[in-house]
Amino acid sequence: MKQAKAFRIGLWAVAAAVILALLGPAPEAQAQFGDFLKKAAEKAQKVQKALQPMTVEEEREVGREVSAKLVAFFGLYKDEALTRYVNLVGATVAAQAERQDITYHFAILDSDDINAFSAPGGYIFITRGALAICEDESELAGVLAHEVGHVAGKHVLKIVERDKAMRAGVDEARAHMPGSAYLHKMSKGILIKLIDQGLAPSDEYDADERGVRYAHAAGYPADGLARFLSKLDQATEQGGKSFWTRTHPPVKERNARIQQNITAQHWEDADRPKLADRFAAATEKLKPKQGA
Amino acid sequence: MKGMLRVFSLLLLCGLLLGTGVPAGQAQGDSQPGQEKSQKEKQEKKKKKSGGFFSGLKAVTGESSEQQEVTATAGSKTVGEGERIGDAQPTAADRQAVSAMENYTLSPGDVKKFQDDGQLKPKQ
Repeated sequence: MKQAKAFRIGLWAVAAAVILALLGPAPEAQAQFGDFLKKAAEKAQKVQKALQPMTVEEEREVGREVSAKLVAFFGLYKDEALTRYVNLVGATVAAQAERQDITYHFAILDSDDINAFSAPGGYIFITRGALAICEDESELAGVLAHEVGHVAGKHVLKIVERDKAMRAGVDEARAHMPGSAYLHKMSKGILIKLIDQGLAPSDEYDADERGVRYAHAAGYPADGLARFLSKLDQATEQGGKSFWTRTHPPVKERNARIQQNITAQHWEDADRPKLADRFAAATEKLKPKQGA
Repeated sequence: MKGMLRVFSLLLLCGLLLGTGVPAGQAQGDSQPGQEKSQKEKQEKKKKKSGGFFSGLKAVTGESSEQQEVTATAGSKTVGEGERIGDAQPTAADRQAVSAMENYTLSPGDVKKFQDDGQLKPKQ
């Protein structure tokens, strides 16, 4: 009985083998299978790359695209002397940042809004409106140092890196520079995050802490950022436009933390230069003319 | 008996090995056009459902659920400023301005003089 069953199974096996052998080897199928393997390997390589941290050059490419969009939307404020002044203050605080594998670049956006932006790769912008509410150089130093803090803390970069698919987009984008669809999507996403949604409060507090530290290490009074934030609060209450008050933690909370930090570090140096005169001379063109 | 089973198994294995050579194109060629269409539709539906490899981009683009929530909470359907800035199409001049920003350099001497003039004493 068992022998008959085994014989039947064997017969079916032989029949199957003969039919399949008659169909013959198919090079097309083999080629398709090869293509599939190749594509799978490429995809695996992409995913593996996506899991690795971004290189400084990749970070710069993203930052460059975000910056180009900011410049396209607002335009740059073209005042050579003021741009040089902002760069000098920026370079002074940026020299104190832990992160020195990138160069920090500073520019002024031609906007009445009271804002400051930082993009991955060290691109830092301050608006004409934000400069106009500063009263001295130490306040400007505080704002710029806060933005340097975002770059040094890699706050935006971490968002990009967290999104694995987005990272794969960076790799793809390299082949389509400049202004590739991938970079457009990515930089748009970053701008929405920065301006419409805001970074995590912990990132803002971290940038405040870093900013205060860098400004103090650069020789400015440590409370420049806190004084700027108070003025920003007042200005927005009076109708001034700023995404800082909309998307950032409340100014009262931020200033309380800053003050707590200054006290803890014994950074209340009253004799440090605020440089109000130098600031006033540099920003003279921005102030409304009397009687105008 | 065991020997017979071994022979049959060997034959079965041969059959399977030869079977990998079934031409896919030949098999597809046998299908009806209607079947092909329905297969394509199925594939498209599957693609739409999965969102593709770059679907993760949604997390940081305007399509994100987080963004939808923000918009819903604000009770406004207006496009956010970030989204408008994000939609800006930089011209060659804008890109050149960014390049100029990158190439703007200050000599260490100038920075030092600026700090000295301001009586700043930065940590070295």
